[in-house]
Amino acid sequence: QGTIHPFRRTHRSVLGRLSQELRLVTSDRRSWRILAFGALNLLCTGCLLMWCSSTNSMALTAYTYLTIFDLFSLVTSLISSWVGMKKSSQLYSFGFQRLEVLAVFSSTVLIQLGALFILKERSVSHGRLLVGTSVALFFNLFTLLSVRNKPFSYVSEAASSSWLQEHVADLSRSVCGVLPGLSSVLLPRMNPFVLINLAGACALLLTYLLIEIHNFVAVDTASAVAIALMTFGTMYPMSLYSGKVLLQTTPSHVIGQLDKLLREVSTLEGVLEVRNEHFWTVGFGSLAGSAHVRIRRDANEQLVLAHVTNRLLPLVATLSVQIFKDDWSRPALLSGPLPHGGGAGDGHGHGHGHAHLSSSPLPPLLPDPLTSTPSKPLGPPPEFSFNTPRRPHSGLGLAYPAGPAAQGLRPGLLQGASGGISCCT
Amino acid sequence: MDEKYSSNVLSSGKLGMVEVPNARLTRYIILLLISKVLKAVGIFESYDILKVVHIVQFIFILKLGSAVVLLFFQKPFSSGKAISKRQWIKLLKHSVLGCIISLLGFFGLTLCGPLRTLLLFEHSDVVVLALLAVLFTTSGGGPSKTRGAALFIIAVVCLLLFDNDDLMAKMAEHPEGHHDSALTHFLYTAIAFLGVADHKGGVVLLVVSLCLKVGFHSASRKLSVEVGGAKRLYALDNLVSSAVLLPWVIVLSATTESKVESWSGLILPLALIVFSVMILEFYVEAVCAAKMEAPRCARYSTAALFLSALLLAHFWSHPFTDRLLSVRTPLHGHGGTEHVLSGGVVVSAVIFVLASSILSAPSRKGQKGTLVGYSPEGTPLYNFMGDALQHTSQSLPRFIKESLKQILEEYDSRQIFYFLCLNLAFTFVELFYGVWTNSLGLISDGFHMLFDCSALVLGLFAALMTRWKATKIYSYGYGRVEILSGFINGLFLMVIAFFVFVESVSRLFDPPNINTDMLTPVSVGGLLVNLVGICAFSHAHSHGAAKSCPSSDHGHSHNEHGHGHAHGGHGHAHGSHGHAHGGGGGGMNANMRGVFLHVLADTLGSVGVIISTLLINQFGWLIADPICSLFIAVLIFLSVIPLIKDACEVLVLRAPPEHEKELDHALAKVEKIDGVLSYRDAHFWRHSASMVAGTIHIQVMAEVLEQRVIQQVTSVLKDAGVNNLSVQVEKEAYFQHMSGLSSGFHEVLAMTQQMESVQCLKDGTCIM
Repeated sequence: QGTIHPFRRTHRSVLGRLSQELRLVTSDRRSWRILAFGALNLLCTGCLLMWCSSTNSMALTAYTYLTIFDLFSLVTSLISSWVGMKKSSQLYSFGFQRLEVLAVFSSTVLIQLGALFILKERSVSHGRLLVGTSVALFFNLFTLLSVRNKPFSYVSEAASSSWLQEHVADLSRSVCGVLPGLSSVLLPRMNPFVLINLAGACALLLTYLLIEIHNFVAVDTASAVAIALMTFGTMYPMSLYSGKVLLQTTPSHVIGQLDKLLREVSTLEGVLEVRNEHFWTVGFGSLAGSAHVRIRRDANEQLVLAHVTNRLLPLVATLSVQIFKDDWSRPALLSGPLPHGGGAGDGHGHGHGHAHLSSSPLPPLLPDPLTSTPSKPLGPPPEFSFNTPRRPHSGLGLAYPAGPAAQGLRPGLLQGASGGISCCT
Repeated sequence: MDEKYSSNVLSSGKLGMVEVPNARLTRYIILLLISKVLKAVGIFESYDILKVVHIVQFIFILKLGSAVVLLFFQKPFSSGKAISKRQWIKLLKHSVLGCIISLLGFFGLTLCGPLRTLLLFEHSDVVVLALLAVLFTTSGGGPSKTRGAALFIIAVVCLLLFDNDDLMAKMAEHPEGHHDSALTHFLYTAIAFLGVADHKGGVVLLVVSLCLKVGFHSASRKLSVEVGGAKRLYALDNLVSSAVLLPWVIVLSATTESKVESWSGLILPLALIVFSVMILEFYVEAVCAAKMEAPRCARYSTAALFLSALLLAHFWSHPFTDRLLSVRTPLHGHGGTEHVLSGGVVVSAVIFVLASSILSAPSRKGQKGTLVGYSPEGTPLYNFMGDALQHTSQSLPRFIKESLKQILEEYDSRQIFYFLCLNLAFTFVELFYGVWTNSLGLISDGFHMLFDCSALVLGLFAALMTRWKATKIYSYGYGRVEILSGFINGLFLMVIAFFVFVESVSRLFDPPNINTDMLTPVSVGGLLVNLVGICAFSHAHSHGAAKSCPSSDHGHSHNEHGHGHAHGGHGHAHGSHGHAHGGGGGGMNANMRGVFLHVLADTLGSVGVIISTLLINQFGWLIADPICSLFIAVLIFLSVIPLIKDACEVLVLRAPPEHEKELDHALAKVEKIDGVLSYRDAHFWRHSASMVAGTIHIQVMAEVLEQRVIQQVTSVLKDAGVNNLSVQVEKEAYFQHMSGLSSGFHEVLAMTQQMESVQCLKDGTCIM
């Protein structure tokens, strides 16, 4: 085979690449719709911003930011449809699903920062609040309900509920105590975006009424602060969730399941312990992970690997398991007299040649999952068959230092050594 | 009579709610309601009396009167065990505290009138404790309690802001000279020093004394057990307090002349007050607390109290009640104009009733468990024990000390911390000076500086978090937090740039007139502070392994209220920007980079302010300011892009660009390792500044020792910079096992395909 250059760069101008990707996206009919909505959104946002500057109302500005957030979410759904078409490359070996997460994270964070800026300003307001509110509300709801936004709907379902949602749920539960007929409407979890749009519109309506009737100008500031706080409350759980995905953390809802699987794995025949286990989500939902499994010196690596993979693969889509043995290169004679059961090394040396012996058809589960690894009695008594431990020094006559020191060998030496081995037996 | 009238209204209104408990409780509830209404009447009455009687005298009379009655009923000396000397001392302390609290309460009454006093001061302990639990602990008890707390606070704020009572109160009452004792004078000056109106000062005072009262009640519980019952304690307490107040009263009556015309006219109202406020309420509360649960008791009593207070406030100065209450005629010279009902008071009373009914409702929420796992049937299992064990509350000073120690341990966080302190000090000096000279520009600039400090705090927190140990959830450690914080800081700067841009565009068409008086000294100060920061952080940059760029610059905050920006800063920006591209790949510590960009932005803002002030003062070019702002906004935007791009690449798990070539070589080398057939699923990504992680699957021939292959591959990739690697070594046997284990047809199919490819490769090598 020829040499592969997996990390070859393609040189092209940024604009050219962008237009190419855009062409790719627009080949799909659905993204046309998103683009159309985006154009509408821009128009609407521009209108609203003009009204904001003419009425000089903080509350309306805060509400307009929700429209801008809609724009971000449209961009996110465009990105997600692009991601769906894109294959993983060598550079982006996990694919581009993370781009969705990143888009969700940055749009929620941006909108929160915008809300922070609202809190910083101060202003007085007069005039056309009602028109702006109704236009923004109508448009936001229209966009929310007619464009299917996969990443945001996932996040809003997966993230913990915001304080707005919790309060609404609590209130509606008590309402349902009085009027049980409403339970089918009120009890299911509300969509946070619809909720914040409605709540913001209510706040603006109240502001309008109070300003018109009593000329309370301070209400404007108060409702702007309220809308900003609601925005924080709604966006914070989502940015927390997507931020945790970006931080490569184990999602807390699979921890229980993972623990159970890992306990099962550690009770497999031959397995001593599982360590360095890392499990995290690649995009929204798909789990990736790696783990190091320490096994007995006489266990069959491939069999254990197959069993471990078989256990974990249904949950973890992208999995890599490194099997390792202690002191595998140590000459068996040296470790003969060591008493076993200490856990540090079940060091009865024997080569891996007879490792197949221990491959019983299916590894039986031990009754107690907790007494897992080191204290587990060794299965078959060690047999000292010295025929097979293959010494790597056959070609060049290099003796490997025994024990863990061998781990630190310089690669040049290794290369040389392994180059000398003939691969036939 | 009046009280009869309103109690009728209330009890008929309240009877609807009684259907929940069994009928036996009804009379206790009615008793409670009547006592509360009487108490409201008593408080209204005492407000009138306090206009002529000195407050200390008044309290003395109350305590003495109730002590006499209670001595008669309770007989604390003849019954029960004797009280030791130590207990007397405790009683003395207790009653001194009680006196202080009732002084504060009645002083608040004189300040803001009976209705507002009742609304603020007469909450039951249950309500206040629930409120404090929501405010100061994490487990407040669910969203409904939070709502109640928010309502409570809104009601207080409503009283503070939307209640236009203070004007009338000021007109009607005390221009200087009314308060005739040292104590009231002191309190008046304290409130005047705070700079609020008397009425608002009274609100604050009442809230504080409410908290004190609740604390006092819970502290006195232990003493009441020691002494032998709450009733005995109350009797003794009244006695001791009147003894404590006696010398003061004597001195007072000796030194000041009394305004009371005839004490005989006051006897009846005072007796009424002693009866309703001190005695009846105490006994009824004690009985109801024994018969009903505390939350319900609290709910009824607050509702009754507040509603009757509202009604009384409406009817108190009414001519009809004047005729009814002939008692009040001797006092009634003062007129009823002050502390009238206003919309704000009514709203806040309604909100108070709601809040206290929510807060005193027993929380339905069960214990919060942690998800342990799933049962075989698929239902989730919870662990309820953890909460009780995990409640190790750290003391605050110790926590601060520990975190300070952690901050000072490492270079980065130390640097940020010192600079944050400097920045905060400057901000507070500015704010203080602004308040002192009453300059709005200075104050708003100070707030802008505070806003900027949030970026520093974020950076500090991220630098601190980075060193936390890896946990089960953060299995790779917290190193990635740094990158995320850098990313957020970058977004922050972009938002700032956007707002500066919009602002300056709108100013371009309509350049405002700028008052440049105070700007120069402030901006020079800011410049000096930020220059120190730049020195510190650029040192940090060259110090650290990361060669990241002093790239970007952006003015914000300062220019937003109309200061221009500098051309000098612009030149500097361009120079450093070029540098950024050179070293951008190596700039790993995104967090420090973000913080540095912020500081640089501030510096440029200050420089810009100085130069635009000069330009405006010298030439009168008002347009210079928005143009500079525009320029700087664009510069900020351009300079943040590299930071954002780098952080994005790390966050979407791109293969680290600076290791690309080495990884390329390393993979080629891996293929050449003896016995290796091929590799697949090679993933390499940078996890944090110090960690490049990777996973790879390697297919080997059946005869090769797996551990050796792992060792070789690991060391080859380690040389390429990957320091957290897991290698899965697969042989043909693996695929056979897998196809045996996996029952699904598709998986078998996939596995056999993979196997065939491996066999092919193997054949190829074998032939070779």
